[in-house]
Amino acid sequence: MSSKRMATIMGVTYGIAAIMPFFVGDIRFIMHILIMCLIWAVVASCWDLIMGFAGIFSFGQVAFFVIGAYTSAILSVQWNVPSVVAILLAGVFTAGMGVIVGLPCLKLAGPYVALVTFGVHMTLMPVLRGEIGIALGSGGSQGILTIPPVNILGYTFSSANQIPTFYFTLFLSVVCTVIILAVIKSYWGTAFLALKDSEEFAMSLGVSAFKYKLMVFALTSFLTGVMGAFYGHYIGMLSTRMLELDLFCTLMVMLVVGGIGRFPGAILGAFITVTANELLAPLGAYRAVTLGALVVLLVLLLPNGVMGLWLKRSDAEA
Amino acid sequence: MLKATRVTKKFGELVAVNDLSFHVQDGQIYGIAGPNGAGKSTVFNLITGNYGYEGKIEFGGKKITGLSPYRIAQEGIARTFQIPQIFPSLTVKKSISVGSRFGARNGLDEDHVEKIIRFVELEDERTQKTGRLNLLGKKKLMIGASLATKPKILMLDEPMAGSNATEIKELMNLIRKINVELGVTVIIIEHFMKVLTELTEKLLIIESGSMICCDAPEAVTKNPEVIESYLGKAYAERD
Repeated sequence: MSSKRMATIMGVTYGIAAIMPFFVGDIRFIMHILIMCLIWAVVASCWDLIMGFAGIFSFGQVAFFVIGAYTSAILSVQWNVPSVVAILLAGVFTAGMGVIVGLPCLKLAGPYVALVTFGVHMTLMPVLRGEIGIALGSGGSQGILTIPPVNILGYTFSSANQIPTFYFTLFLSVVCTVIILAVIKSYWGTAFLALKDSEEFAMSLGVSAFKYKLMVFALTSFLTGVMGAFYGHYIGMLSTRMLELDLFCTLMVMLVVGGIGRFPGAILGAFITVTANELLAPLGAYRAVTLGALVVLLVLLLPNGVMGLWLKRSDAEA
Repeated sequence: MLKATRVTKKFGELVAVNDLSFHVQDGQIYGIAGPNGAGKSTVFNLITGNYGYEGKIEFGGKKITGLSPYRIAQEGIARTFQIPQIFPSLTVKKSISVGSRFGARNGLDEDHVEKIIRFVELEDERTQKTGRLNLLGKKKLMIGASLATKPKILMLDEPMAGSNATEIKELMNLIRKINVELGVTVIIIEHFMKVLTELTEKLLIIESGSMICCDAPEAVTKNPEVIESYLGKAYAERD
């Protein structure tokens, strides 16, 4: 898909989101959902970049989100680091963790990468709840309950003043997804696709699998870590509950709904999934089953996700 | 130009390449042949750094042993694969650009990419996704992407496999053009002896990873040991 078409879809999606406060700005619940859509749009796009474009079956995206969230929260609460600095440091720390996780994955084939990265996800909860986590300031099983909101030049962005917070989140989300778009359309993106399609051939043409795979781990971990850090400051509290399978599955549904490797499908997937999840809330215990059935139906009708509606035949086949 | 000295590769108990030495001269078309499982493709994989090995391989006087495949590509050694490798997510032009962007020393050269597209005669397919190409198209694409790295040596692994007579003729002409017009040294693994005898100046025959002989094609096809172990008596008596 051309850059122009991708940018148009992103522009329309974010444009619609941008005017929503004019209609629903006074409904706190909807504004919260919109903010969450913007956060998940970035996380899902990062996952799409590493899995859909680079072909690395990383299942560690939620873990990186939580690492970013906890790092920034601990820096702010324990060390009184200003929130903006803490968010950036959390992004850098998460990128470092991404590289550390990525290194052993370079020697592994698809399913084993999934196992290693999901192993990191599964290990994180006991670490944060255990003695190491408590020593670092994770708050153990109770979590961190008093995370200060983002403060820029004395102006506070928190759940108490949602409209400015919404626009700040929109700004962050747009910046992060534009970075992802730029990467996809740059020679980095070409290297990712070439390595995904045929690593052997790509390397024989001078593409360094080591360099580009680590780059994608670092970049996606950084952006995910930044959004995780922002999430912590926005919500004001964190617990390891995020590491249970609900969020992991919901994120995966976002990717499937948007279309894996069909950026900016992940952004659409995030908006559709979060909205559908909330609309189905009255179904109670049947919500997950209904959402699952809708996903199965969507996969059957649109194997390329909702992006399949915009894809040319040649793109769809590829 | 390319010199392998006492190269040995073992996979566990199996000796795939055994104490092999050879020397490819600048500007040559050099053939490698041998029965299935002789270790021909393994030799390519050793040269391109896909496997570690004992011994030494030098390219242009520089030791390339231990370099990773992408570094070897950037040094000027390009290769194609027996089973065509393509990038289904990319168009023909973009696939060829990969070679230029990442493999050539001076980075992406749009003019060179266009020249290569014309050279391998894929002008009409340049905007197509590579998955839609036929077998010949895929082979030309692989060769084109490899040439885009501006190699000094191009190694072709069974380029004629699965091709009909017309396609073989076309590929042979392309290989000659690569050697003569672009001045690229070519190493070719092939089973079609006719192709090797018509194209190559020197032919290395290996069996079970060891060299049987290395000589001009006319001499090789008359070598009793080669006839016995690879070509068969029917080949020797065909005239």
